[in-house]
Parts: sequence; C-alpha cells; structure tokens
Amino acid sequence: MNLAKRAALGLAAPVLALVVAAVVASLVLVGTGDDVAGFWKTLLTWPQGRNIVNILNASAILYISGVAAAIGFRMNLFNIGVEGQYRVATFAAAAFAGAGWLPGKLNTVVAVLVAMLAGALWAGIAGLLRTTRGVSEVISTIMLNAIAGSLVGYLLTRVGSSTGNTRSTKQIEQGSWVGGITIFGDSPTKLFGLSLVAVVVGVLFWLLLNRTRFGFDLRASGASETAAVASGVDVRRMIVISMLMSGAVAGLIGMPTLFGDAHNYGSSFQTGIGFAGIAVALLGRNNPVGIAFGALIFAFLTEQGNLLNILVGVSPDIVAVTQGVIVIAVVIAYEIVRRYRVRLEQASVGEQLEAQPAPQPKEPVS
Amino acid sequence: MSTSATGPSTHAIELRGIGKRFPGVIANHDVDITIRTGTIHALVGENGAGKSTLMKILYGVQKPDEGSITVNGKHVTFSTPADAIAEGIGMVFQHFMLADNLTVLENVTLGAEKLHGIGDSAREEILKISRRYGFALDPDELVETLGVGERQRVEILKVLYRGARIIILDEPTAVLVPQEVDALFDNLRQLKDQGHTLIFISHKLDEVLAVADDITVIRRGTTVATVEPADVTARKLAELMVGSELPSPSTEESTVTDRVLLSVSGIELRDAAGRPELTGISFEIHAGEVLGIAGVEGNGQSELVETLIGMRHPVAGTVRLRTSEEGDQDITRWSTRERREAGIGYIPEDRQRHGLLLDSPLWENRILGHQTRPPSVKGPWLDVKGARDDSQRIVSAYDVRTPGIDTTARALSGGNQQKFIVGREMSGDPILLMASHPTRGVDVGAQAQIWDHIKRARSEGLAVLLISADLDELIGLSDSIRVLLRGRLVGEFDPQTVTPQELGSAMTGAGEDA
Amino acid sequence: MRRFSKIAAVALVGALALAGCGSGSGSGSSTSDGSKAVADACKSSSNNQGPKVGLAYDVGGRGDQSFNDSAYAGMEKAISDVDASCTEAKAAPDENDTIRAERLRTLAEGGFNPVIAIGFIYSPAAATVAAEYPKTNFAVIDGYSTTIPKAPLKNLSDLVFAEEQGSYLVGVAAALKSKAKHVGFVGGTHGDLIKKFEAGYSAGVKSVDPSIKIDVQYLTEDPNDGKTGFENPTGGKDAATAMYESGADVVYHAAGKSGLGVFDAVQTAGDGKWAIGVDSDQYLTVDKAQKPHILTSMLKRIDTAVFDYVKANADKSVKSGFVAYDLKVNGVGYSKSGGFVDDISDKIDAAAEKIKSGEIVVPTDPAKVK
Repeated sequence: MNLAKRAALGLAAPVLALVVAAVVASLVLVGTGDDVAGFWKTLLTWPQGRNIVNILNASAILYISGVAAAIGFRMNLFNIGVEGQYRVATFAAAAFAGAGWLPGKLNTVVAVLVAMLAGALWAGIAGLLRTTRGVSEVISTIMLNAIAGSLVGYLLTRVGSSTGNTRSTKQIEQGSWVGGITIFGDSPTKLFGLSLVAVVVGVLFWLLLNRTRFGFDLRASGASETAAVASGVDVRRMIVISMLMSGAVAGLIGMPTLFGDAHNYGSSFQTGIGFAGIAVALLGRNNPVGIAFGALIFAFLTEQGNLLNILVGVSPDIVAVTQGVIVIAVVIAYEIVRRYRVRLEQASVGEQLEAQPAPQPKEPVS
Repeated sequence: MSTSATGPSTHAIELRGIGKRFPGVIANHDVDITIRTGTIHALVGENGAGKSTLMKILYGVQKPDEGSITVNGKHVTFSTPADAIAEGIGMVFQHFMLADNLTVLENVTLGAEKLHGIGDSAREEILKISRRYGFALDPDELVETLGVGERQRVEILKVLYRGARIIILDEPTAVLVPQEVDALFDNLRQLKDQGHTLIFISHKLDEVLAVADDITVIRRGTTVATVEPADVTARKLAELMVGSELPSPSTEESTVTDRVLLSVSGIELRDAAGRPELTGISFEIHAGEVLGIAGVEGNGQSELVETLIGMRHPVAGTVRLRTSEEGDQDITRWSTRERREAGIGYIPEDRQRHGLLLDSPLWENRILGHQTRPPSVKGPWLDVKGARDDSQRIVSAYDVRTPGIDTTARALSGGNQQKFIVGREMSGDPILLMASHPTRGVDVGAQAQIWDHIKRARSEGLAVLLISADLDELIGLSDSIRVLLRGRLVGEFDPQTVTPQELGSAMTGAGEDA
Repeated sequence: MRRFSKIAAVALVGALALAGCGSGSGSGSSTSDGSKAVADACKSSSNNQGPKVGLAYDVGGRGDQSFNDSAYAGMEKAISDVDASCTEAKAAPDENDTIRAERLRTLAEGGFNPVIAIGFIYSPAAATVAAEYPKTNFAVIDGYSTTIPKAPLKNLSDLVFAEEQGSYLVGVAAALKSKAKHVGFVGGTHGDLIKKFEAGYSAGVKSVDPSIKIDVQYLTEDPNDGKTGFENPTGGKDAATAMYESGADVVYHAAGKSGLGVFDAVQTAGDGKWAIGVDSDQYLTVDKAQKPHILTSMLKRIDTAVFDYVKANADKSVKSGFVAYDLKVNGVGYSKSGGFVDDISDKIDAAAEKIKSGEIVVPTDPAKVK
C-alpha cells in the first residue's frame, strides 16, 4: 500500500463516522421538530475567542481523562473507574493544598503529586483485586466509583466547610493558584495553566506506547494476552502497573480546574469527566493523537450546545445524543475500514505470491 | 431434474470448471473431478492448495463463482449444507463436532430428531448401522469416555444416520495413531462395499495409496492429474503435488556433544483441580542434540513445553540449564522472560495465539519475545530501526513471502507466518529451542526450509526439544525419541532403528511393560 | 470479532454513562404545576414590553416536575402580570463552572436582563459573570453567589429559602398525626441543603413530643450524585417502605423525583399511613389513589421568588445580596389540600407564629436539634 492510499484509509473512518453522525443528528432534529438549518448554521459558526478558550480548557480535561482510560484499554483492561479515581484524587489534592502546609507553588506541585498518588492507589485496588482474586476490573471499578462518591461525600462533611448550600474543602491560598494564560485579549476567560499538562500527558503517552519496552508489552498484552505471556510478559504485573498509571493520570483530570478556577473541591465540582473520557478514548481509538481529536470534538459540541440551546432552542440532550451517535458511528466505521484494510492487505500478499514462483527448497536436502 | 439419458449414472459426483475467488486470492480455478459411485476417491494436495475450499463448495458451505456440480447425474446448486445433505452428501470434519457430555445416541440424533425420534427406534437404527459397518459403538456411552478413533466413528455414524451415500472425510487420519488408521481404513472399505462413495482428503501419501481407488491431485487451486494407485509411487504423487521433488527430513552426521545443556528431573505438574498433568518427567538434552517427543495429542506435550518455557510452574522437580557463561543454574522458578533472556527460543504449537500479534506489522512481531534484547531494544527504549532492519533480514533469510515488513502478520499465509517465527526464534543465538509442531500446516517447500534451519542450528550446538505429531518428522530430525503417554515419559527409541508402528504402540500404551 | 464486541460493550457503557450521570444540585423538590406540557409561554411572549428574562435551568430543565418547573410557574405569572418575556437555557449533566458561566454570559450578551439562575450550583458562575456585565441583573435561586466576590456587587442577588422553617411546620403536623410515635424522613443527597429540611423537620417533631422516634435515610451519601438522590423513585420507595414496615406512620421526603417512590410506598402501606410532600402542593399532582395519604406538603415558593424578582426588575427596585424567603414573607409554608390537617392547623399556625416572632429559632443542622 502506498502512502496516499494509507492516508486516505486513515481518514476514511473518522470522516465516515462524522457524516453518519451528522445525518443521524439531522434526522433526530427533524423528528423533534427543531430548526435543522439553524442547528447547523449555529453549530458551524466559528466560536468567539472566549468560547475557543473554553473549548481548549474542556478538551484538555477530557484529553487527560481519555488518556487515563486508554492506558487500560490498550491492554484490554477496562478501567471504568476513572470517574471515582479522579474524584478521590481531586479531593485529596484540594484538601492537601487547602491545608496550606507548604508555601506557594511548592504546595501546588506536591498537591498535584498527591492527586496522582491518590488516583493511582484507588485504581491499584482494582488492579490488585484482579491479580490476586480474579475480580473483573469492570465490576470492581464500578463499585469503587460508588464508594469514591460516598467516601468523598463523607470526608467533605468531616473536613469541609459550608458556604450557602454547598460544602467544600478549604479555599487554596492564592499563592498556590496557577494563573491563566491569556490567548485573546478581549476574552474574560483564560486558558488554565494546568491545561498544558494535557500536552505533556499526550507526549509521554505516545512515547511510552510506541517507543518503550513497557509500551510494547502493554500493547502486546492488549493485542493477544496469550502471545504476550508466551513472549515473557508478566501479565499480572502489567495489570497492576497499568492500573496504577491509569489512576495516576486520572488524578490529573481535576487539576486544571482546581488550581485555575474552583480553588476548592466541593459539591459543585464537575463530575462525569471519567465517563466522558471513556467515550473520548473510544472516539480516538486509544491513540494519543486520536484522543486529542475526540476531546476537541466533544468539547466543541458541548460549548456550541449552549448557543444552540439559547439561540435555536435545541435541547442540550440533542447535543448529547449527537455525541453518543458519533461514538457509535466511529466504532462501527473503524471496524468497517479495518476489515477493508485487512482485505486489501491480503490481496497485496496474494499478488506477491502470484508474482513469485512456487516455493522451492534452496538446496537439495541431505 | 436432468437425469442423464443413459439411466442411473455411474458417477456419484462430477465437478466441471469450478472456480472460487476470495479478495486477492484465487482459491480454486478450472477444477474438474469425476468421482465414480462406490469408490474411495482421494484428494491430495499440500496445505493451501485449495482442497478445503473445494470440499466446502461440495458441501454447500460456500458457493462457487463458476462451474457446475452434478450429483448422481443431476445438476445441483447448493446454498447451504442442508441442500447437500438432502442430496445424500455428508461431511466428517477434521475437528470433531461432538458434545462430550452427551451420549453417542444423543450426539447422533441431535439435529436429526425427525428421522427416528430420540428413543428406542433411534437406538435400533444406530445399532444397525454400527453392526453393519463394524463400528462397535454403544449408543448409551458418553462421548467423553471414547477414544479418538471411536469419536471419529461416531462422526461417520452421524453422517450415515442422516442418509448420506457420499461421505467427505477431511484429513481423517491426522488425529489417529497408525493402528487406528488401519481400523479406519477397514471401516471405509466396508462402507465402500455397501455401495457408499467416499471422498478422502489427505496429504499422507502412503495412506492414500493404500486405500484409494482413484487419486486426484490438486496444486495451486486446480486439478493437475487423476491417477490410479497402481500407476504411481508416493514419490511421483508428491512431485505432482509440489511440482518438484519432495524433500524429506533426515539427519546427517550426529552432532550430539557430551555437554548436557538442559537437565530436567522429576517434574510434577498439576492442573487447577490438583489432577496430575505431568508425572516424574526426567530427561537431558545435550548441546547439538534434537530430542523428539512423540505422543498422541493431549498426553502432556503442551504442558511440558509450557513448563519448560516458564508459563506453568511445577509442584515438584527441577529444571537446570547449563551455559558456558553462567554455568549450571536452577531455572525451575524463573519467569518466561528470564528463560528467554537466557537463550531459550520457543516455537509455539499455536502460532496465532502464542507466537504472533496478528494485527501488528511484522517488524513489531520481531520484537515479541525479544523485548529485552538487542537489536529490537536499547535499554528501556524500543529500537525501531534495529527491529525493522532485523525483520528485513529474517524476511529474506527465511524466504518469508510478504510485500513488506509493515504488512500485518494476519495477512500472511500460515507457512510464511511460521517461517517468520522460526526466523525470529533463531535470532540472537539461542542455546535451546523448543519447537512444538514446527511444520504443522506449512507447505512442503517451507517445511524443508524449516527443517534445514533447525539442522543447521543444531550443528552449531543448538539443543532442540522437538514435539511433533508427524512421525516422519520426528524420526527424520531427532537424535533420540521419547514417548509421552498420559503425562509420563514411557519409552525411549533410537530414530535410526524405530518404525512408526513401534512408536504408535508406545503412544497408545500397547507397548507398555506391565 | 471478539475485539469488536468488547469495544462495542464499552461504547455502550460509555453511552449509558453519558446519558446517565445526573444532576448535581437539585433541592428536595417536586412537582409544581404538574408539567403537563402547557403552551410555551416564553416563545409566545417575545413581543412583550416588560423585562426580558433569561432563565438558566438546572439539569432536567423545564418539565422536571421539580423546582425548575416551579421557577417557570413564577415566570408565567410575570409574563401575564408585568408583561415580561423570556428565553430559557437548560443545563446538561456534568458541567463545571466554566460551562455554567458561559451559559449566563451568552444570556447576558443576548440582551437578557435579568438573568435568573436556578440552583445553588450556579453561584460561582454568577459571581464571575455578574462582575463582567455590571448592567445586567443576576439572581441565583438557593444561591450563595453574593458571598464570593470581595466587594458586594449591586447587580447580584441570592434568593434563598428558610426550608427549615417550613419543614418544622410539617414536622409538627407529622408528630400530631403519628399514632405510633414513629415518623420518617427520606432525603436525596446528604448535602447541606437537604440537611436543612431534616433539621427543621426533626425539630418540629421533637417540639411536640421528644420521645417520638425519627428514622432518617438519605438515598446517597455522595453530595455530587444527584441522580441517585433526586431521580431515583425506586430508591425512595425502598427507603420509605422499610420505614413503614418498621412501624413509622408518617414519612416526609425531600428527594425530588425520588419522592414519587415514597408516595408509591405509602399507598402500598395502606390505611393510617401518611406521606408529606415537598416544595409544591403535591396533593394536587399525585395519583388519585395516593391522595388520601398525602397529609400535607412543605411549600417552598420558588415561583413567588421568581415573580417578585422579575417584578422588582420592572419596577427598578431590585435588592442585591441575600433575599430571604421565610415564613414572614410566605416564602415557605405548608399546604392544606385534602383537609387532613384541618383539625390540627391551629397548632401548626401557632408554631408558625412563634417562628415569625423569633420565639422559636429553627436549627439548620440536624446535629444541632436537641
């Protein structure tokens, strides 16, 4: 296969998926009696500066969540628990940073490490349960999500303080905040400083996956556990390590918001990013670059959903439906393109064999 | 309905101009076969020649793109196996399709309840068929208690029960020991005498010559000749099959040294339920020696290999490896990776499950099993260039037919996948190679190449543990042969003098000394 | 394809998760006007000359049979009485302050004034955006937004309710009606807001007879899990059923839609068992078979608050800061539909008078109920 053909095939799946999703979304809009033309006109309007900043911030958070999920997915480890991991981690970091034991930015750095550690430990429970007791990580992480919510809720009543109807951890000292980056001068919103962590996470994930022994073992375990075992991969160790890594990355999810905007963890802190990350990872096929596109698309749709709601009167539920349709369309489109690619490849092997004479022993035996 | 004008046809099946294409591959083209009623007709050809596809077409599993099928003089088109069964065609697959926890009666009547019910009249019918052809099957016995030969007879009985007059047998002898093969052939001859037509697919030429009335040779998807056994020799048939001279494994001068490389003593292995899988396994392999392990499949071969490569851990016994650098080491508790790093190569029995990442490109498959050794890695980092270069080397040195090293392993044919694995496992100068069925499912040309590579490495001091179901391969390559029966090593033979019959006796336990 | 089916399974999980994870902040609330999709007042009011109101709903939006609907009812009154017009924006599940702020910003930029945010969760967002748009008035229902900025903003109000006072009154009613001397409370999420309901209710019960046993159950301990707390009728039914079976004969709920399960439970429990509604007069909206069991409802007049606020905008008399809706201004209260509390209403009203006069100070924290 030549390069152009390969690139075309690579683009085919996402384009196919987006077209299918657009058609389905339009049909849904017709069904609900909404203004289809207005929907597309508004959706495809180039966002204002502040909206772009919001999209970037949301993408960064979703991206980190997507990578956290993808680390497990790459070795067929279905860590559904990113949700619980980041909530435990964000709470831990907020409580730690709020206590203000350390000065200024040192406080920030250590708090971020605390978050990674807390996320890793929370995920590690599921990893250990899997390797020592054979408990499916899907079940245990779902359970751990529920426990995480209750645990954080309980701890919040113990260490948190009330403001109005909400309860939160102690406000972090201003010296430990991470300032925003101004992209558009006239925009009231700024890029969270820690959104840049997403870039670091992405680069490290790519390097780990494609350029390290560990990443190879990880991918091999996911592609064929039996082959990985036969090649000398200690799959149980890999499960524990990748759960720890997945949890550590999950721990970073709340950091941009915590240090850039909320400055405490409370009952209004964003939930659900862990689940959205699963969808984003699927959308990006667990690939570092793909996940970035997935996160951007999700963040873009959510941001524009607001305008659609107010200007065109389209319910945000429709936007959520569109997101869901995109995920399913992508899964199906990639499978179709994958099969087509396999067939092309077999055809090319076939041609190769046709072109050569029948196999002959190189020299007479004995 | 176009029964031929001359009355009942004497041809059970006529295939004319059958062709079948898959994307990029022509499986069959211009296939012409005439099968006489009441004969055993053998179909021979190497793996991948198109025999299976042809039989699937005849049994209605696949539709031909072109050509015509005539059964008993009647032109037919099959869309499903049910159509073929309705025309009196039955098929016995190589892999049995029996439910172990059901009785013979239940297995036979399953899906054919309408014929004779599932009660006494069905039992009557089964006993009748069993007696007529000398199958000696008890309808009420559980299938799990039956031996391989008996299971195969259940499969044939199933087909007969459904009224088949034409029976296709796909590689029926592959799973049998020599004595069972003889029994099968007796059954087949009886069936023939009763007027049945049998199509016998095989690549074991001696068997074909012994039992067939007509032999059709298939090569590269098409029929190249139809001959009678009296007119040909096995050698001639083989030449027709491969279009060249047949290679055969044969040891050259012994290269066995007196340096013990691997020493296994008293290995005991248990399954999850605590039942013994391997008992008292002890042997030694010297540098430059090929130790062959014979045995009917399922007698502990896989378990032995998995124990030696470190995927399973024994409850008792030791495994020691002696290398020139490290000396004598107890590796019983070592992990698979440590063993591989110490220079143990592994050609797994199931290459697709244990030897390859099917959806990864070849060059990534080069790294598999060598994740900690150059040229594919540098420290904790992958060495992509090193892995690619070395993959290129394997592709050319081992004659792997592929458009390139970026092709996924899945796209390659079985033989080429196997050649790549052999090439990989021979890389990095292994000191011990564990080869499970290294040439299974590999075409004749590739088979010879693989044998060649093993022999060359052996002469350079490689120790080899060879497990194979192919007795010719075992006898041809090994310096000594041990037989594995029910998890124990039961016999030791000198390949120079042993016959397949002697090995067969040992494999079934007939030769066991009290 | 094995791999494919696994991926599809995860896709399903993901889709469920996306559809599932629910609201964060609802108060214990339920049906206000029945939500039987009435004509869209906002769309038909676009030519009105009064205040152009931007309504930012909490998750669920209008039609949630909950306090979003209650707010809408107040809006309807404003449309007819002060010639207001409106547009509506609905929240999606799992938002953060940035997304909420952007919703308020879009409304402000669209020329809507005032902007009313429904749910305390909008407080940080409203505080941020109110500073950016000083000419637009912002109000947050149940909010605490005015505590956030360093200096008070003239254009920012929090419309808050003394839920504990109303809950105290229904607690008195429960205690007087309980023959078993055993009552129950079902809360949604175990957060500060719902604790106010519990505290007032317990205090009211104890004021009648300190020996009465009170069963308390929250549907989730996770304050961020609004879905399990407020959209979980099955959980509400299970919790209430257990209370009735263990002998309680009056159960008060502050659990939004989950409360509908409490009403199912009381119907099953049968004669002599009561349930108490919340936020709006739930006697009016429950099934006929359940009506004989709805003792009373604690009223939280979000509709009043919304109407008053819009009217104040029309009159240019907006009060910034906290605007309290308590018994004194009829911001909370209890309902008499069904006539089941007619015999005891004098005692309840007497308690109300004591609260208004300051003689009784109702606690807001269950831990402080003596």
